[in-house]
Amino acid sequence: MMPSLYWQIQWRRNRRLTPLYGVVLLLLVVYGWLFPGLFSRAGLAHFTQSWFPLALVAMAQAILMLTGGISLAVGSLVSLGAVVAATTMGATGSLVSMLLVLAAGLATGAASGAIVALLRLPAIIVTLAGSFIIGGLALIILPRPGGMILPWLSAVLAGNNPTVLLGLLILLVLGWKFYLATPGGIALYAAGENPVAAYRSGIAVEATVIAAFAISGMLCTLAGLFVAAQTGSGDPVIGTTFTLNSIAAVVLGGVGFLGGEGTMRGALAGSLLLTVMINVMFFLGMPPVAQYIAQGIIIVVAVALPHLLGRRLAP
Amino acid sequence: MTSVSLAARDVSKAFFGNPVLRGVSIELRPGRVHALMGENGAGKSTLINILSGSLSPDSGSLDVGGRTASSLSPAEARQAGIAVVHQELSLVAHLSIAENIGLGAYASRGGRIDYSALAVRAAELCALVGLSGDLSRPIRDLPLGERQLVEIAKALYRNPKVLILDEPTSSLSARETERLMALLRRLKANGVALLYISHRLGEVMDLCDHVTVLKDGVCTADQPMAGMTPDEFVRLMVGRDAGDLFPAFESAARAETVIDVAGLSAGMVQDAALTLRRGEILGLGGLVGQGQEDLLLALYGAMPARARTATMLGAAGLVHSVTAANRRGIAYVPADRKREGLLLTHSIRFNMLLPDFGRAVSLALRRTSTERKLTDGLARLLTVKGDLSRPVQALSGGNQQKVALAKWMPQNPKILLLNDPTRGVDVQTKREIYLMLRRFAQEGQAIILLSSDTPELVHLCDRVLVMREGNLVAELPHGQVTEESIVAAAMGVSPAREAA
Repeated sequence: MMPSLYWQIQWRRNRRLTPLYGVVLLLLVVYGWLFPGLFSRAGLAHFTQSWFPLALVAMAQAILMLTGGISLAVGSLVSLGAVVAATTMGATGSLVSMLLVLAAGLATGAASGAIVALLRLPAIIVTLAGSFIIGGLALIILPRPGGMILPWLSAVLAGNNPTVLLGLLILLVLGWKFYLATPGGIALYAAGENPVAAYRSGIAVEATVIAAFAISGMLCTLAGLFVAAQTGSGDPVIGTTFTLNSIAAVVLGGVGFLGGEGTMRGALAGSLLLTVMINVMFFLGMPPVAQYIAQGIIIVVAVALPHLLGRRLAP
Repeated sequence: MTSVSLAARDVSKAFFGNPVLRGVSIELRPGRVHALMGENGAGKSTLINILSGSLSPDSGSLDVGGRTASSLSPAEARQAGIAVVHQELSLVAHLSIAENIGLGAYASRGGRIDYSALAVRAAELCALVGLSGDLSRPIRDLPLGERQLVEIAKALYRNPKVLILDEPTSSLSARETERLMALLRRLKANGVALLYISHRLGEVMDLCDHVTVLKDGVCTADQPMAGMTPDEFVRLMVGRDAGDLFPAFESAARAETVIDVAGLSAGMVQDAALTLRRGEILGLGGLVGQGQEDLLLALYGAMPARARTATMLGAAGLVHSVTAANRRGIAYVPADRKREGLLLTHSIRFNMLLPDFGRAVSLALRRTSTERKLTDGLARLLTVKGDLSRPVQALSGGNQQKVALAKWMPQNPKILLLNDPTRGVDVQTKREIYLMLRRFAQEGQAIILLSSDTPELVHLCDRVLVMREGNLVAELPHGQVTEESIVAAAMGVSPAREAA
């Protein structure tokens, strides 16, 4: 029997990513060979912990890039999530605190999305301004590292057992798959690549963009909560590196800068690739400076390669 | 009275004070194919956009399903069952055929898109329009003709009561076109009201029952198709009063040939042959986007081109870069002056100096006095008034165009390639530009004038070449050229023959 239309579409999307999956797998094998401890429960837990926040911010960045935007506020949203968690958890308990973290991301995301969509301003400028405002907010809430995360939460998220993290990731991926199979989800692609066509087809382009920003903001603050749980306290500037790394991961994952092109699975694979790359270089004893340079070169090559191959194929 | 599916009554629309539609009425009825004809810029697209809710008219009203409204929103248009097959396709390249067909109107089950229902419906529609193959293919992998079929299937997905098709066959093969015609006849039999826009007269006369012709935003015909001849069509679409807009024609062409090219292929252009003499204004006409621009760009060295034989300004071979073209004395004025021709935020003076900054520079320092002298002279020549230190964007469209043209003059180009220089320019400035062009020709410059404005080709040019689908299909010398003959050649009818 023919596979259903849905699975055929999925299969086509996977097929484009086969080279990326191959590279990730190869690097994982190299990593496992260099560091056999990876396959122990604790090793896997630590690896997952180094990947998890990057996976979240890569998803956050990918959603925005699919709508044709980009976010420079990823890092400060991560910081905001961390400080909200660390300052509220003692007083309100873990559940309320976590809800507050998610609400903070949702609200700031939706607000920036509204500015971008309704005032028709470029996302890069709005999120640049947003990064200063949100970063400043985080510093007001918690001027220096401090606050606390309930120890049980730290143990569950950042202990020696990867089950919860991997479970969370799977939940997120399933959630995304569900969202993408709704009319609102697929509208992301249409609104990102061809807003005029989307509008003519009856898609609420502004609402789609605002929803994307809100989801993206929530994923960022969730990453912040996790980072805080890792250290057991909040740090108002802890997110800084995530902004550029999220873009790097997404670009490695084949998400296009012009909107509407790319997949979440690609972005996740990209974040995994970046994490493994950094870990492998670390185990090879490369100095941090060399790691940065290598990382940069790999990103340029990864983006240039399809272009060069494409040009060869074209007449 | 017979029922009316959708009607516009006495609608007018102006853009930036420029009237595009003036008191146009059109009435679409169930089971009737209505043709909408007119030249480029006659107002067809504006009318479609008003009928489908993308634009609001300035005055007039719309009748939809027995209700009268001053304008429609896109949502209301959709609810009323109005669907448009747009000329510039409204598809999302990275989504699959099926997802595009249903876009914006998916059936859902439990909040999720019902992919199995979509697959069934999309397969039906694809069979109907004659598109075969896997529905999961993304649009970006399809050739243009198949994308057009998807666009048509997408419009049909919504079970339209009114279907508007804007040039649906321009990228279809003969077989695909035939199939589409059969499909449209079936829709007609099912009581759909159709509005059909095409430049292919044959198709229109075969398919349509009723025709509305627009000319310069005014309705010149609203009548049954029966008994119409191609000649009559062409006459209804063109033939406005040239008045005293154009300077008296007086050929300044000399014997000396500056361009002699044969077998030129570039972009859309196939195997073109043309010659250009000093002092000659050579017109380049045809429907928009038939390869005219590619031809100009090829001669300017801005586009990869091959030619069997080529002599330009006495030297053999085509020019292969813009710099080489400029050095040899070939200048190009682009159509999109805002994007390609001018630095909008910089001063008028600066823009005028740009092509050859070196003239006003000594020992690598700019000399303001020389700059001033040069630019003041140019401004006088062009009758650009006011402070030259203002940014170019402060000028009107017409005056911007004059600056885009003027900046080349100090270089004394021998060949001027002009890409639709009077598009969006007011009448007074048009006249000034025409006078300038004639003067340049008298001074011995050779000009190729690409124009979407047919009267301009008739009254200004020594000769007019007409392009269709990348081929030069007609060469009409001044005196023999008429608007009718240009339009007829552009649409692939020879009125004299077909009328017989």
